Amino acid sequence: MNVGRIIGTAVLGFLFFLFLAVDLVLFGIVALNSVLVTLLPVLGLIAGAVLGGIVGRRRADV
Amino acid sequence: MNGIRMCAAGALFGLLVAGGAPTATAELEGTNGCQASGAFLDGGFTVDAATIGDDLVTVLRSDTVAWQGSVAAPPGEYSGSISVELPPPFGDVEIDSWSGDSQSTSNEGVREYDLPSLVPAGVEFEVVGSHTDQNGTCSGYVRMEVEGGAFDSPLTAISLVGTVATGAGLAAMLRPLLRPVPKKVV
Repeated sequence: MNVGRIIGTAVLGFLFFLFLAVDLVLFGIVALNSVLVTLLPVLGLIAGAVLGGIVGRRRADV
Repeated sequence: MNGIRMCAAGALFGLLVAGGAPTATAELEGTNGCQASGAFLDGGFTVDAATIGDDLVTVLRSDTVAWQGSVAAPPGEYSGSISVELPPPFGDVEIDSWSGDSQSTSNEGVREYDLPSLVPAGVEFEVVGSHTDQNGTCSGYVRMEVEGGAFDSPLTAISLVGTVATGAGLAAMLRPLLRPVPKKVV
């Protein structure tokens, strides 16, 4: 298991979805106090970690 | 002269001015007979907290607001505050607060505001206010939005660049997922 890759994709997933949430707010799609603004970065963190783990496993299998 | 501020709605309209948002709705409820209204002089409209309901009000980025507020009876000792609601779990950011002891039941004033360009336009945010005096409480909120487009603020460009950069980095790290997995040769 490549821990570095998991952490890297988790951090990037968090940042990507954080910026995405800010974009949604700035373009008036969601309100500033929407819970979506909080949830998206957390989902990005989790999804990034999971996908990073899958990638690491695939590379190990090759 | 602090009578207006005794009224949370009055404070909300003060916030409208200070916050300088263009689209707003307001709700006001309480037990001390509070009332408040604000006339946006450049915008050419008046908002009454008691009747505006969920109607949208467009507020200019800069304007002058003539506001007035009142309570039904002399308030005595009073206190209150106004905040901007942030996404959970961050809570509220207090913009203004007040307290004192007064027998005045109303107040009015004129306030100019001019929001910096950094304040994003078209973003809906909720300003909440509350006021407590010896006769009861009053609370309300205003959903505000600065008039203009998303690109009126440099924050939008910064955020888009951040989205693209982190998205590209994420895609690069997850690239192996897009390739077919070769079968293991035993």
